[in-house]
Parts: sequence; C-alpha cells; structure tokens
Amino acid sequence: MFEKTRSFRIFFWLSLILMILFLFFPLYWMINTALKPAEEVFTIRLFPANPTLGNFIEVLKSWEIRRYLENSLVLSVSSSFFATVVAAYAGFSFSKYRYRGRKSIMLLVLMSKMFPYAVLLLSLYVLMQGLGLLDRYASLVLAYITFTLPVGCWTLKTYFDEIPDDLIEAAKIDGAGQWRILHTIILPLALPGLVSVMIYGFVWSWNDLLYSLTLVTSPEKRTLAPGLIMHYLGEVQQDWAGMMAASVTVSIPVTLMFLLLQRFFIQGLTAGAVKG
Amino acid sequence: MRTVKSRTSGLTESQFGFLLVVPAIAVFAVVMLYPFVSSIVMSFTNRSLLLPGQSFTGLDNYRDLLADPNFLGVFYNTIVFVVAGTFFPFVLGLIWSIVLQQGFKGSSFLRSLTLVNWVLPGTAIGFLWMWVFQGNYGIVNGMLTSLGLIDQHINWLGSTEYAMLVVTVAATWKGIPWFMAFLFGGLLSIPREHIEAARIDGAGNWTVFSRVVYPALKPVMIIVILLGAIGNLQLFDLFWVMTEGGPARATTTLAVEVYRSAFREWNLGKAAAIGVVWVVLLSAFAFFYLRGMRDEVK
Repeated sequence: MFEKTRSFRIFFWLSLILMILFLFFPLYWMINTALKPAEEVFTIRLFPANPTLGNFIEVLKSWEIRRYLENSLVLSVSSSFFATVVAAYAGFSFSKYRYRGRKSIMLLVLMSKMFPYAVLLLSLYVLMQGLGLLDRYASLVLAYITFTLPVGCWTLKTYFDEIPDDLIEAAKIDGAGQWRILHTIILPLALPGLVSVMIYGFVWSWNDLLYSLTLVTSPEKRTLAPGLIMHYLGEVQQDWAGMMAASVTVSIPVTLMFLLLQRFFIQGLTAGAVKG
Repeated sequence: MRTVKSRTSGLTESQFGFLLVVPAIAVFAVVMLYPFVSSIVMSFTNRSLLLPGQSFTGLDNYRDLLADPNFLGVFYNTIVFVVAGTFFPFVLGLIWSIVLQQGFKGSSFLRSLTLVNWVLPGTAIGFLWMWVFQGNYGIVNGMLTSLGLIDQHINWLGSTEYAMLVVTVAATWKGIPWFMAFLFGGLLSIPREHIEAARIDGAGNWTVFSRVVYPALKPVMIIVILLGAIGNLQLFDLFWVMTEGGPARATTTLAVEVYRSAFREWNLGKAAAIGVVWVVLLSAFAFFYLRGMRDEVK
C-alpha cells in the first residue's frame, strides 16, 4: 500500500521493532519467569540458567487450581454452546424473517453492549439471592449468553445474509419445513460463523471475573479468574513465579483453541464491521 | 410480510421467525431489562446487602454522591482511563495494522501472535503487568535502574501517581489486538485501484493516506473507537486484580466503585445510584453509536 520511501522505511522498521518488543516481550517474560527456579526469580536474567518445570508442577499439584480449571471448562463449554444456539436462532430470525418489532429488537440487542455490566449485576445478584440460585452456574450461563448476544447475533446475521434466498425457496418447494431447513441446510453453511461465535463465547466465559466472582462463591464451584485471585493474592502472597506459571497454564486452553480455529474467528468477527 | 403457511406446525413464516428470537428475548429480559429497571428503583432506596428490608429514601443517594469528594475523583479516573485506554491502543493498533498490511514474510504469523494477547484472561494479564512493574524485582525497575534513569525503585502500583499509568499500559497492551483486527480488515478492504489511481496522479505516501486510506477507514475507525471506549468503561478485571481500585481510590473507575459500594460497603442503594449516573452519561455516547449503527440495521 505504501511506497518504500526513506521516511516510510524508517517509520516501518522503528514501528516493527518497537511493537514487537512491546507486544511480545511481556509474553516471553511471563514464560521466562515461570521457568525460573526460586533463586533466579528475582534476577533480571533474560534466560534462566537452570530452567525448571517446578513452578508448573506446583500449579498443577494444587487441587484448587485443578478444580478451578475443571469448573471453568465445564462452564465455558456449556455457556458457549448455548450462547451460539441462542445467537444463531436470533441471527437467522433477523436475517431471513420479518415481523413486528424486529428492528427494535435488533437495535436493543446491539445496544446492550453499552449497559453497564457492573450495575446489572446488582439486581441480578438480588434476584438470584431471592430465587435461591446463588452459587449456581445457571446464573452465569444466562449472563454469558446475554453478553455475547450482540456480537454473536451480528456475526451470524452477516453469515446468514450471504446465504441466497433461492436456496431456501428451493428447499421449501421440495417440501422441507422451516425447522428442517434451518438445521440441515443453513447451519452447516454458516459453520465458520458458528465456530467463531462459540470461540467468542468460550473466551468470554473463561476470562470473566466480575460475574463469576460475585455470583458463585463456594470454593468448590469457583472458576479460574476469581480462583487465581483468591489463591495468589489472598492466601499465598508474592509467589511471582507461581503466578506466572499459573497465568501461562490458564492461558493455554484459550490460546490453543484460538490458534487452531483463528481462521474462522477473525473472519467471523471482522466481517460484520467491514462489510457495507 | 409473508403469510404463507409453512409445513411446520401450521405457523406462518413471521410467527416462526419471531419464535426463533424468543430465547434471546428471554435471557435479555432476565439479565438486562429486569436489572436495568430494578437498579433505577434501587437507587431511590437504602437497600443494603446486610439487611433484608429497604425503604424509599428519595434522592438521598444522589445527594450523598454529589457531596462525596471521592466520587468526583472516581469520575475523573474514569474519564482519564477511558480516553487514554482507547486512544493509545487505537493509535498503536493502527500503526501495527499499517506495518502488517505491507505483507512481509512472517506478517501473518505476527498477526496471529498479536491476537493471542487478546484471548489471554484479564487476570493473567493483570498478574503479568503487576510482575513487570513490581516494586522490588520487576523488570521495569530493573531496566530503569541499570540504565541509570532512577536511583530508587519506584513502587508503581503502590503509588497514587503511577498506579493508573500502569493499569493503562496493561489495558493498552490488552486492547491493541482488538483494534488491530478491525483496522487491518478495514485496510485490506480498500480497493487497490483507488490507491493505484492516486499513485498515477503522483500522490506520495502521506497523500495516499490522507486522501484515500483515511476516508475509507473512517467508518471503521468511528465504530472501533466507540466500541473500544464502551468496553473500557466496563473494564473491571484489570483494575480489580492489579489494585482493587487503590491505592486510596487512585484507580477506582465507575465500574470498580459500583462493585465496591455493593459488595464491600454492602450499600446497594448507593451502587445503584452510581449506576444511574453512569447510564445517563452513557446516553450521550449512545446518540453517536446509534447514528453509526443505523446504516447497519437494514
């Protein structure tokens, strides 16, 4: 796009080097610290003299952390699944159907990103307390579905928009019902979109702190984000190597998933913003 | 409106379409609508998490807020953070997108790696930057000392002057990938013919940028800045992990203050009132957002 003039080359190389340093050196530092044995943690060595997996073993030996990992896995898989289903149905509805209130509902869903989550939490907490549903994952699943709706619906609607109406008409002429058309024809065609929404939902749930901290409090049910805080900033203080090892550990599932499926992910999320 | 009865259970198409969106409406009603209305009501009461009862106290919560010297500070912190936390990742994300779209060997690898920063849990990012800026053994202090720029280690997160800076750096680091993803997509979608045409007319890099790239990118920029700002307004995890809003409320934003009032001070009425103030201010943002969105909603 840009000609390699002298000033552009300076801009390019300076930016490249500085950005690489800023973006990736901290990642390296995180891993570096996690691999250092106790004596080296507080040095500024760029490479550990005696790299060790000890910190990671400590993290995984801790039954609490293992529990938090399991809990987060269960919660994230289920909430991302339900979130994708709800968003897919809604997105398809917005894309191919017309009914009274459709535009208002779409607008409301899109705008819901702006609702202050911390404020909604207040009443949700009181409601769940009243219903006796505190310390249950149900409230978190509901919340995560709702918060991923805007991006989910928008992404999937864009995918469904691309599916030609003739395809649907042809299926109808062949006698297929709406329900069947949606599940056997439409959804397979929108697979990249579905995958990207699932990843989005998974990442949201996996990383969430505010809601999981507040709505689920018993140690057995605790998820990763609040769990890490309780463990490393409450009970055990200043275990920096442990904190780095734990940070790496909890980042691995989401990172792996993202790297393996990133084609869908980037495609899915940015398609909506860039089109039209 | 199509009213052909479909083979499915005798519903018209419109009805079926509406049925599809009912689950979304249902969760929305429970998690968004009901709490939204309920918080407004709560702001006019003295509801507390310690005792079951509540009574209407009118505008007391709001009066207390306006009189509270801390609240002005919270407000100020929020504005500073939202502005800085949106501006810097936007600019850096744009620069990074421009660098990456030149398409050199390894650029797509770098792009994927950048996005990894985005999926990292906020708690892990918080831990990382706490460590980088740690008072005694953090690498920033180490580097600054060995470069001779400071004599004494700075207690970054423990000082009221620097704490917000550190969290902003962490938030910027976290935000760059997101901005980059959208801006990169935007850059890619600029038709090459427009750039070729400008070149043929003798345009230099800066002219190409200001006359072709910037106008084409502007819609994406507006959306991404607005969404980014809104996201920063909501941000909780970095603040809670790194400083819990301290020291001395130096890094307390609206989101942190709402949480603290409700779940540390047990004062739901006050928290709700802060929430209402927040929403009222957000309506200004909403105005611009709606204007941008009106083109998307067919």
